[in-house]
Order: sequence, then structure tokens, then C-alpha cells
Amino acid sequence: IPEVGVKYYLRFATTYYRSGQEAGSCFATVLYLKKSLPEVFIKCAHSQDQKQIQEEDSRFYRYLRHQTKPIIANDIPDSHGNIEHGLLPVWALAIVGSSYVMLEKSTENTGYFLAQIRAAKQWIRKDSAVEFEFIILLHETPTQEIDLCHMHLIWIFGHPLTVKYICTSENHRLDDGSGQESGSAAGTLHEKGGNF
Amino acid sequence: DQVLHIVPETLQQVHHLQHLCSTLLLDLWKPLLPEDMKAGEDLHIRVPAPLVQEVKASLDQHMISYKILIHDVQELVDQSTPRETSSYRQIPEDYNYTQYHTMEEIYTWMAHIQNNSELVTQHYLGKTIENRTMYYLQISQPSDKNKKIIWMDCGIHAREWISPAFCQWFVKEILQNYESDPKIRKFLQNLDLYILPVLNIDGYIYSWDTARLWRKNRSLHMNGTCYGTDLNRNFNSSWGTVGVSYNCSSEIFCGSGPESEPETRAVVQLIESKKSDILCYLTIHSYGQYILTPYGSTTKPPSNNEELMHVAQTAAAALMEKYGTSYEVGSTSLILYSNSGSSQDWAHMIGIPFSYTFELRDKGTYGFVLPADQIQPTCEETM
Repeated sequence: IPEVGVKYYLRFATTYYRSGQEAGSCFATVLYLKKSLPEVFIKCAHSQDQKQIQEEDSRFYRYLRHQTKPIIANDIPDSHGNIEHGLLPVWALAIVGSSYVMLEKSTENTGYFLAQIRAAKQWIRKDSAVEFEFIILLHETPTQEIDLCHMHLIWIFGHPLTVKYICTSENHRLDDGSGQESGSAAGTLHEKGGNF
Repeated sequence: DQVLHIVPETLQQVHHLQHLCSTLLLDLWKPLLPEDMKAGEDLHIRVPAPLVQEVKASLDQHMISYKILIHDVQELVDQSTPRETSSYRQIPEDYNYTQYHTMEEIYTWMAHIQNNSELVTQHYLGKTIENRTMYYLQISQPSDKNKKIIWMDCGIHAREWISPAFCQWFVKEILQNYESDPKIRKFLQNLDLYILPVLNIDGYIYSWDTARLWRKNRSLHMNGTCYGTDLNRNFNSSWGTVGVSYNCSSEIFCGSGPESEPETRAVVQLIESKKSDILCYLTIHSYGQYILTPYGSTTKPPSNNEELMHVAQTAAAALMEKYGTSYEVGSTSLILYSNSGSSQDWAHMIGIPFSYTFELRDKGTYGFVLPADQIQPTCEETM
């Protein structure tokens, strides 16, 4: 769009992160503007019914709230791709949180995947929220760089995550500074999938 | 320790099981929390060895049927733990192809494969920047014929562990099935296979010992302050023009000049010397699930593009048949991104008609840290 930017129209299918099973399809438009963050509109049809998704989210949430000792772990998955069973929910939480980071960092020409969680630390709270601090490693394409991000997230059930982060590339160049993703804009993008 | 699989039939049974779990502090594997137990749904509980008798007796008493999912948890743990290099046994038949192996283990494996098979000979290729020896394996049926060659290298990028795992698997498959599979025998009647299991040896070792996500080699630059050239940007194919960095601190640093790295030169020398006989050049990477054709350095299609694409599409279709895994086929510059100095481009430019880059599993879920339990299916389908 001359003078404004470039608009993409997308139609795509989604799958569950771990099982690869079909999860539904989405329609989206992304408008890359010259000087600000892209504008995204997205609408998805889930193949699983909302009630089931809610239930699974609830189980996931209660497991994390259930911990009396804070979960502290490193290298998820480990070098051989293994993830301890009890840490699967932590991995899942990091995936959702990092998706906010990746959404903000990505551009028309750079994309990301979550390569590994270097460290995860839970903060046990007196209120009903789940709180975690992560160090995540993002694989950036096409530069092939590994970006290291400190990510702090708070999840109150029924609300989108509150994510704060700061990233550097492993070569210790401080990129882009910090950002925060929370509230309404994220509402439409909040993935409610269980079945990681 | 045992893991029991129980499907409670009534609410009463559920309550009893919840009680059992909390009083005996049993390790609930599925579901995550005791309060999530439901009649008619699977339960997996790990019972510590000293409590096994007691738990089973209690289940019998309450008429709750169970199956033993895992008879000995420790045994399973031991089996899946990566072997220490010092205790690695010498016999190739014991080599576990469904595990990732250290470079030391791979060196030993290559020597033993050579000693135990008439078809395989190990050849010196060159030295890495840290002065380690590079070897390739030649799989060749003894004959008077001058045969054409298919070259395959793995592990040009250190962190892509599934790639060397595939090369090892490939060699094993050919050797194990040579006698029984007429297709393989026919293949080897007319073709020799040259396999380089790990191209970037120094980098691979570094990814085991120090930084799992290392990509480049270990050459030193900038007065000793920065390490590593991206070997797949270092070949003399439009070197340094696109999709590279001239800065050593980048993961796609193309080196101080084309073929500046000893690893690159070692490969180039061998392939140049045999290029009139080389029919196909294959280089194995991860991840992404692609079969890539030339070029990365330009969108202009290679002269034999139709044939290249046809073969690749046939391969992708065959691959998908095995486990349903889908691979995308196309030229690097069109479906992935532009890059110059790649080994694939170089091979085609010097006249090797078929040149492909394979990006193996997965599509980003685990990425570089692909779990070892995916080695077998990945290799089987790619085979």
C-alpha cells in the first residue's frame, strides 16, 4: 500500500505444539507499517470445543499453583531433547510466554522459534496468580542468531498473560530493549490451547 | 519401581486411589493432580519398589484392576541414558543408532565399521582448524568398473545433531541390508557412496562440551577475540554476496575469504578431484523439513531445474509415505532465504548435476534439540 506499508492476507491451519494434531484454522491480516509495530487482525476456528480447552487450561494452572516448593530448572529440553515429565507444564508456559516476545520481535524479514529454555524459576505467590521468570533462547532466521531473553510472566487464570522481557543476542549485543505485552490487544492473540 | 496403569471404574475407586496416593506419597504420572482423577480415565502411577506389594494388595482388595506399564523404571532409565564415552563397548553390533554420540564415539565407530565390512573403507580427508582429522567412509562393491559417486556430508553446522545421527544410520542401513536387499546391491553395482559423518568436527565437539547451540567452526578471528566461520557460507559460490555477515560475531560470518577454512578446503579438494564422477551431492542439515535445490545465491534457476525438482518431489513423496511427515521442496532462495557461499551452490556450479540440501525434522517444536526418540523415525523416513 503506497506510502503506508505492506499488507499480507493469510489463511493457515494450526496444530498442537507437541502432538502435531490439527487444532483448527485461522484467517489473519498483517499490516507492516513504516514506523510502528505491525497491525494484526486474526480470527480462528478451534477444532476442539472451548469448554474442553478451558478445562485443560484449568488443570495446567492448578498444577502450577499446587507447587509448595518453587519449580527451578535448567535446560528444557536438555541437549538430547528430553523433558522431564513434571516440567512439561513449565515448557508449555514458556512457549506461550515466548510467543508474545517473538510476536513483538519479529518483522517482515525476521522470524523466530523457541530453541531452548535455559532457566526457569517459579515465584510462589500468596494471591492466586502463577509467576515465573525465564531465560529463553530464541533462534532467529535468517540470521541464525540465538537471542537470549529474560522473560518474566504472570498468569491469572482467565486473563491473558502479562509478559515482560529484555533480550540480548548471545554475542552480547543489547537489542531493542524491553517490552511489555498484556491486556486487550493480546486478547485476540491469546492461545488457549492445552495439549502441548 | 513400577509404573501401573489403572482405569478406575467407579467414583469409589477413584476416592480410594486418591487416598492411596496421598497417604503413601505415590508419584502420579497421569493425570497431573490427584483431584483430576476421573472414573473411566487413564491413571499412571509410579510405585516405589518397597511399596509395590502393599499397593497391589490394596488394589486387589478393592477389586481395582491394573496393568504393569513399566516393570522396572531404573532399567528404562539406564537404557535411555547417554552412554559415558569411557564405558563404550567395542563391538559395532552394540552401537546404539537411536542415541546421539560424541565425536570420540563416532571416530571409534568409523574405525570399527571399516574393520568389520568388506564394503567400507575409511579415507583421510583433511584436518580441522583445531587439527583434528577428518575422515570419510567409502562404501563400494569391489569391481573392475569405474563407478559414479554419490557424496553425502553431515554435520556442517555443529548444533544440528540429527544430521550426523542420520549419516551413521544411513551407513548402518546400507551395510545391514546389503545381503538381503536386491535394490541396495543393484545400487552399489553402479554407484559408490562417499559419506562424511561429521564435517564440522571442532564445532560438534564444542556443542557437546560447551555450547549446545553453537553453529560455526572454531577458527579464531579479530586478534583472538572472536570464534567461528559459518562453513556453509564459506564455499566459492558467489562468496560474500548475499545472506552473509562480514562480522565474525555473526552466526553467518562467511570467513575472511572463499575457502578460508581448512574444513571447507578439505571437502573442496576431494570433490574437485573426483567431480567428473560425482553424480549427486547431498548435504544434511536441520531443522525445517525441506529438500532444497540450487541456488541460494540467486533466484535464477539452474539449467536442469525441472529434473532436479522432479527427483526431489519424488523423494519428498516417498518420505511422506513412511510416517506422514511433510517436506517442502524448492530452491533455497525461493522457499527459504538467500545465502551465498553454500556447499550446495558450489557443488552444482562446478558441474555436479544433482545437488540437494536436506533440512531434517522438525518444524520448530524442538528445533535443534530434537529428542533422541525421533532419531529412528527421522532416519527411517529419510532413508
